[in-house]
Amino acid sequence: MSYFLKYLSTAPVLLTVWLSITSGFIMFINFVYPDPLTFPSF
Amino acid sequence: MKFNLRNIFSTILTITLLSVSSLTGKVESANAVFDNLTPCKDSTAFQKRLTTSVKKLENRLKLYTPNSKEADFLVKEIESTKTRFERYQSSNLLCGKEGLPRIIASGQWDHANEFVIPGILFIYITGWIGWVGRKYVQYAATTENPFENEIIINVPIAISIINSGFLWPVNAWKEFISGDLLASDDNVTVSPR
Repeated sequence: MSYFLKYLSTAPVLLTVWLSITSGFIMFINFVYPDPLTFPSF
Repeated sequence: MKFNLRNIFSTILTITLLSVSSLTGKVESANAVFDNLTPCKDSTAFQKRLTTSVKKLENRLKLYTPNSKEADFLVKEIESTKTRFERYQSSNLLCGKEGLPRIIASGQWDHANEFVIPGILFIYITGWIGWVGRKYVQYAATTENPFENEIIINVPIAISIINSGFLWPVNAWKEFISGDLLASDDNVTVSPR
């Protein structure tokens, strides 16, 4: 288990996880609030 | 003349201050004039674009049986087109003669939400990422095995550094003042000349 955690902590794996989360977040925002041209004023 | 970052920075600052002070005699409004642009809500070309894009989608809709997958998609598309035009109309956007909205990047405050605010947000977020990465590399350098700590990330410490990075502009300014932000010239290798 500790080896697996070590594998998950390597830079390429963390980079993949991080960018997946980021891209998913941006997709979600564009799904909820599509076609933004200006910063929304709430 | 010796070139280093601090010299360049102070030169730029001096030029900026001088040019600002030499202009203070006759400062006019900095706002640009957009005579060739009209607010999108008053633009006939913009309204025309709305009707033609909706019409095109409606013509495509006629080709499909109602309530089919394709028809449902087109109905949704019509709706989102309408909300998109509605949103561009209700915001402060200016449209060109051909009816397309324009982003005003001159920095004036009444159009800040088009460029200035997203731009500042971008710099803030990228600065956060860079600052936090720098902090982590600095942490790794203090450990027993710096190279391994850069390849196999110490996740708990990295997360605590990430969470403390939101104040990076303040910290960066503090380090710049104290001289920790920039490396001294002795530490920067220069190719022989």
